[in-house]
Amino acid sequence: MARDLRRWVVATLVACGVVAFALLPPRGAAVTRAGLVFAIPQSTPARLRAQALAAEWRAADGAARLLDQRARARSVLSSPETRKLSVTVVLTGPQSIPREAVARVASAMDSSWAALGLGETKIGVLVVIDLAPGTTSGPAQEAPMYLEPDSTNRTTCVALVPGGLYWSRFILGTPGQERERPYFVEWLRASLGPCAFYATYGAPSKTVRRWLTVRQWDIGRFLSTENPVRRAWSSTDMLGDPRYGWYWERIYTFSPSTVACMAGRPAGCRALVLRGGGASDGAGRADSLPRIVRTEPRRWWQAQDLIPGERYLSDVARTVGRERFLGFWGSPLPVDTSLALALRKPVGEWTAEWQHRYTPRLRLGPAAPVTAYALAVTLGVLVLFGAALAAQRRQVR
Amino acid sequence: MSRSAWVFLLMSVAWANSAHAQDTTVARLRARADSLARAWREAGALANLVDSLERARAGEGRDTIAVGALRIVTNPSPLPLRQAAARAWPVIDSLYGTAGADLARRPYIVHAVDPDTAAPRASFHVGLEVPWDLDEASVVTLLLTNVPIAPPDLALADWLGASLRPAVRSQYDRATVYVQLVTAPSAAARRCYLGDVGRCADALGFGDPAGALERWYPSSGERRALVIGSFAEYFNRGATATAFRACAGGSDSDCTELLRGLTGNALPKPLGYEARTTLVHLALRLGGRDAYRRLLANPADPLAARLTAAAGMPVDSLISRWRGQVMSSRPRPVPLPVWGFAVALGWTVLFAFCGLRSTRWRVT
Repeated sequence: MARDLRRWVVATLVACGVVAFALLPPRGAAVTRAGLVFAIPQSTPARLRAQALAAEWRAADGAARLLDQRARARSVLSSPETRKLSVTVVLTGPQSIPREAVARVASAMDSSWAALGLGETKIGVLVVIDLAPGTTSGPAQEAPMYLEPDSTNRTTCVALVPGGLYWSRFILGTPGQERERPYFVEWLRASLGPCAFYATYGAPSKTVRRWLTVRQWDIGRFLSTENPVRRAWSSTDMLGDPRYGWYWERIYTFSPSTVACMAGRPAGCRALVLRGGGASDGAGRADSLPRIVRTEPRRWWQAQDLIPGERYLSDVARTVGRERFLGFWGSPLPVDTSLALALRKPVGEWTAEWQHRYTPRLRLGPAAPVTAYALAVTLGVLVLFGAALAAQRRQVR
Repeated sequence: MSRSAWVFLLMSVAWANSAHAQDTTVARLRARADSLARAWREAGALANLVDSLERARAGEGRDTIAVGALRIVTNPSPLPLRQAAARAWPVIDSLYGTAGADLARRPYIVHAVDPDTAAPRASFHVGLEVPWDLDEASVVTLLLTNVPIAPPDLALADWLGASLRPAVRSQYDRATVYVQLVTAPSAAARRCYLGDVGRCADALGFGDPAGALERWYPSSGERRALVIGSFAEYFNRGATATAFRACAGGSDSDCTELLRGLTGNALPKPLGYEARTTLVHLALRLGGRDAYRRLLANPADPLAARLTAAAGMPVDSLISRWRGQVMSSRPRPVPLPVWGFAVALGWTVLFAFCGLRSTRWRVT
């Protein structure tokens, strides 16, 4: 190596050493507590047991009330006038309910029903709105429950919906509430849950029904006619933004199949959608037994495996159209076959595309983005080219 | 009997059987619900008892650190709690005054734990869990931000928007308010900045809630900025999506209608939490050691009257002094040192010199 060149190399190394000495702390960085998160006190086992008993009570009481309300409404719903209405609302509560409240709810329910494009339906819906949160002998009901049609009553689906403090006050009348009516209409529509599917598409085949029962209708919570889908609220809104840490904290809580689906892998999506599709749960169950659907009372979106699963069935129905969806809905074939026939695509592939409409595609593994590769190669080529050019010009032949 | 009559009869019998089965199911479910309700009430009472025992047990076999009226119940550890309490107590005492004496009956319960997250930890049900390698300044902040004072009444808490705690960074908070006065898209905030004390009171939320939208955000540009800036996610969906898009396109009537549709006190006040907190802190400082008690004495009174009672001066004078403090806390612009230019220039010259002085080399 030429002497001058050696001098330059030494000078460069010395300069790097000086910069490193100036900028790099000799004993590592100071420990920062900026991101310290303190633990939250846990509930005592006694408190957890009380909460578990409350959940059991809600299940038993809700089931009893659903059956009771259906039995009471049998005579009303069987009259020809009511059958034409297809949806009936019952308000329950300890206090007397003003006539205006009934009119308010009836008008809003009409709007919700019309928004779903429904008129007279084969299967009617009975919506029981409970306006008495926490005033019964047990804990307050927190989430809607549904009673699907069965052999005892094949034409009525019942929804038991706790009004909660907010909507109970709205229904019973608070000043300036007309502004909130659009939100109330949306709330009512969302409260219909599986009953909206029964009203719109009739009773599903046994295979589809078993599939949904095993899943507790987690992929059929809402029937929505809104398009495009991104405009409506969905549980992806609870994920947050990939720019922030809590988004990735949620991602790490998901099952491998969920993450695979979010990464666009059809096998993961297929596994998520068909969970329960081949199950024999309830296969031997008598048709006359009441079929109760319970929804997660709190933070149901945290228990989801398909994100946003609550809209999946609704999006399938809107995408494939009524005829093809009815073909799937009433098909005795296994769910993966009938769903693929309706979608005209393998379930996994369609679901991966659907998933991508809601969430940005995750990149799995250590691979860098293609653009990063391209940029690195371009820069490398430029540097090599520049160096070769400079060396060529400086050569003395 | 005809075939159709037999079918009808069979169906009737089947229906009667299933209806009877359903009645039995309802009765069974009711009985189960009653039994569960009894068990739930007993379990709830037991859980309350266990919780109170846990609170009592949290103090057993532990050290109690007493500094002023502060009481800290903790397990032995290297955590600098006593030193931190000695630094935190004067700050707490200056805020709550005589009301701070109540803290002697409301101790902190601190579980100092191994900072190694791999080390097994016992479950805890009461108090704060803190790694024992926390430095003193962080422990002081922890004590100040978790003062176990009784929560204030709902009216004060609603107006304030959070709990009233000692200021950890008062100068920074006042500077934040200054920036809000300058940048908030609200005529009330700008008029306050220019010296209108009445508009300061309005921007702080003392005015009549009726007509707040017109007073705080009187121009169409402000209303549009508010809808697009603060409520885009909320309004741009469902029943309000059309109005939102019209508002974004410049329709003031749609913007106004959307903002009027906000329920309760969801309309954002022009000035944020820091503005109201710094005002209350000033009132308590001016009002002396009994100021906090006077502030809480009459929860039914309007907030302006309560602040007047706490500070011992008319609310207008209080706001005027608060504004003076805020104006004097203008954030200093980030200075660029003179030598910064020289250093940058020096490096440039050095590299240029090196580039020009490099020698040619020969290929051997």
